[in-house]
Amino acid sequence: MSPLNFITRTAPTGPVLEIAGDLDYAHAPQLHAQLPGLDLRPGQRLVIDLAGMEFCDSTGITALLAARNHAHAARADIALAAVPAHTLRVLRVVGLDQVFAIHPDSGAATRP
Amino acid sequence: MCRTGHRPDPHEPERGDTSDTAFAALLEDSAEELYESAPCGYLSTLMDGTVAKVNTTLLNWLGLERTAVVGRKRFTDLLTVGGRLYHETHLSPLLRMHGEINGIALEIRRPGGGRMPVLVSGAVKYGSTGEPLLTRLTVFDARERRAYEEELLRSRKAAEESARQARADRARLQDALAVLQQSLLPATLPPVPGVDTAAHYHTASPDRLGGDFYDVFPLDGTRFAFFLGDVCGKGPQAAALTSLTRYTLRAAALHDPDPVSALSTLNTVLHERYTGGDPRYCTAIFGVLDPDPVTGRVAVRLASGGHPPALVVRADGQADFLATPGGLLVGVLPDPHFTAAATTLGPGDNLLLYTDGLTEARTGEDRTALYGDQALRDFCAHRAGEPAPALVLALTGLLDELGEGLDDDTALLAFGVPTRPAPGPATKNPS
Repeated sequence: MSPLNFITRTAPTGPVLEIAGDLDYAHAPQLHAQLPGLDLRPGQRLVIDLAGMEFCDSTGITALLAARNHAHAARADIALAAVPAHTLRVLRVVGLDQVFAIHPDSGAATRP
Repeated sequence: MCRTGHRPDPHEPERGDTSDTAFAALLEDSAEELYESAPCGYLSTLMDGTVAKVNTTLLNWLGLERTAVVGRKRFTDLLTVGGRLYHETHLSPLLRMHGEINGIALEIRRPGGGRMPVLVSGAVKYGSTGEPLLTRLTVFDARERRAYEEELLRSRKAAEESARQARADRARLQDALAVLQQSLLPATLPPVPGVDTAAHYHTASPDRLGGDFYDVFPLDGTRFAFFLGDVCGKGPQAAALTSLTRYTLRAAALHDPDPVSALSTLNTVLHERYTGGDPRYCTAIFGVLDPDPVTGRVAVRLASGGHPPALVVRADGQADFLATPGGLLVGVLPDPHFTAAATTLGPGDNLLLYTDGLTEARTGEDRTALYGDQALRDFCAHRAGEPAPALVLALTGLLDELGEGLDDDTALLAFGVPTRPAPGPATKNPS
């Protein structure tokens, strides 16, 4: 088990939340807790950078969906960047590759 | 307190004989005074127990005059009944054998019928020829200590009671969880004419209500509906969602058994029920079995919402996933796309539905080494032609073998067409 760490930075498109560690049953609530603190304005794009994510289970995917709901409630968009191969496969199985904009890295995701 | 200190006493500017004398006076007056007013009781007894000498401290505790004690009472007369017994059975023999005792807990009698816990130590004084002369005893006030011990004892009893209560609560909770768990799954599957059915549910943890579900139920005289799925998360919230999902699908199917319609109804319910910061969703395959009593073949129509594809295992050894690409998780979007598929099962064919607890089971230390779709397909292909219950039994054995690697709940549901006509009304009366 790796602890979950967050780094938030600001790109021209809006906030970028870098997630490192395990996004699982034990740690996913920490992502939920991060959401209200994000400075997300209408028309911006919340980018979640998963380059450092080591593991993601169904509760982790729930947390990503909560982030999506949070972004939409702020009338903003959401995009995932650098999704690990295994998680990307799961996202395809459950059809979420059609729901999230998925970019190879945060550079591509923050291009206006 | 300490005379070896070098700081002068502020009230005694001149150090010297005067201060030393004053200090000696403060310190101690005489050995007699030390004996009489010591912070513990002293007494000496003759070898028959008669009190020969006693100090004021002990007399004060006893509330007795010296004249009433010395030469008139034995040590045991000062003790409670219990203390007297203990003296006879333990203290006295110990003294005779070892010549001393240490920290024996007794109770002395106090005026007005009260009692006072004490700790008694003693030593026998011997004469020049080794004959015992008298016994010297010290008596320490043990009231504080006794209170402390009683408090400890009370605390321990309370802790033991809490632990017992916790064990009972836990047992009751597990019973309740087991009952609830059963309510999430059908106790038995209804017999489907011309079809073998088999199911298995593997619980990853007895403490966590499962999030997988399945069911089979009749739609009309000939058709049966089935579903199998996996709700996100674990624990009570997941179980509540499982329950909602199960009964919604059942009701939806009776209204409109089209697989995509049933999943769409479920989607509407989940999406409206769980929005905002706590999204809840599930993956599911919903389908309808339509056995043809004439040919014995079973038409299957199903739809998937984000669920791993069903596996069709043909009697001839061919095993293929019944692809349902792009079907979305149920409950995520207000207007999702669900993917339909259809197949027909002939004699010896099996249709297997499963949850990803199986395919995502770890096969090594690394969390990325998973059992996988390919291994499942190969495993089932090797069992082509076996009846559905045998296939599920083999898969149950596989789940056991995966052991620790299987850290999620897993549900299995299989339908097979028997190679020989199965007993039942549909085959007995094929008109």
